[in-house]
Amino acid sequence: MRNQSRQDGDEAELIERATKGESDAFAVLVERYQRRVVGVAMAVVHNQDDAVELAQETFVRAFENLSKFESRSSFSTWLYRIAANLAIDFWRREGRHVVLHGEDADNELKRMPSPQGDSYKSAARSELSERIKQALEELTPEHRAVILLREVEGLSYDEISETLQCPRGTVMSRLHYARGRLRVILKDLGES
Amino acid sequence: MAECSEIGLLLGAFEDAELEPHEMQDVAYHLARCDACTSLLGDYASIGRELRSTVELPSLVGFAQSVQKRIDNLPVPMGRRVGRWFGRLGEQLNSGLAMGTAMAAVAALTVLVLTPYLRRSLSPSLGQALVKAPAVASQQLAAAARDVEAAPAAIAVAANAADSGELASDSHAVISKLEAEMPSVAVWTEPRSDTTVIWLPDQQ
Repeated sequence: MRNQSRQDGDEAELIERATKGESDAFAVLVERYQRRVVGVAMAVVHNQDDAVELAQETFVRAFENLSKFESRSSFSTWLYRIAANLAIDFWRREGRHVVLHGEDADNELKRMPSPQGDSYKSAARSELSERIKQALEELTPEHRAVILLREVEGLSYDEISETLQCPRGTVMSRLHYARGRLRVILKDLGES
Repeated sequence: MAECSEIGLLLGAFEDAELEPHEMQDVAYHLARCDACTSLLGDYASIGRELRSTVELPSLVGFAQSVQKRIDNLPVPMGRRVGRWFGRLGEQLNSGLAMGTAMAAVAALTVLVLTPYLRRSLSPSLGQALVKAPAVASQQLAAAARDVEAAPAAIAVAANAADSGELASDSHAVISKLEAEMPSVAVWTEPRSDTTVIWLPDQQ
């Protein structure tokens, strides 16, 4: 608790210095939140390169608009909101989907190992991982963002609500839908 | 007992511990008696674990430096530029004032330290001058008195010479100047006594 309040005080000072144009102070904040901000961007766009680019843009926008930051919400939530907005805009603009179809999907299946041999476990693991990636691609960005922010980034429902600027009830219903959908998709993929 | 359809809506939030205490209690009570919902909850937990192990975050090596570079390349807003300019000006003014004050203090200290020495070094010549001054003055007064005493005689000689026409031949007595504006005033030199004579009429 004491460490948290010390970090908050330290953070307030860093934000104040960064607002005056001290980029060194802002660099500390970047180091502190870079992983989570990339995670938020990843939750929406689901592409590493795009997520990194969007996270960098998030920090640049944050630096430019520091004077507009009001301490009503936490600095981290403010950053996540910028990241989520940028990522959702990007997703809508680019409309990227990386689902394998037709020939690509067949080739991918042919490369899968048989359920015998030493590499079976790692191959099974890789297969499951691939199925989950596919399942995530089939979700809408809103549903994917909610479930990844919860399960991977560990944000609370209130934090997700602030980040995505939607009511807490919407977060709950989206999560419920995303979990149910993933469960069905994963079962279907497993059976096929 | 609550229906599975009602509990199903809350299962995810139960897994996330985001329900109100009484809702948590209701769901826990239901789960203790319902295998289907317990199985569903297990699936949700499994999905969460798989997601955490599957989603790979990119490497963040050099991330902060890239952000810093982009920030450094941003155009500096006018307000911040003006603020910085005033800040620098303030610093310069402060240092200028400090420098001026320091110089004034050094000057005052120098004067205070050097004044006694200056007095001491200047006083001998001043004293000598002051001692000699009365003697010089008395000598000059005596010479003036002698000139005054000699003046009537000189005037008489000059008058006689003028009467007898001797003036032309005696080039030693020369009336150097007759004041035009005051023709009654005569000034001449008497080289023999090395004297300049100024003749003034009696005031009536």
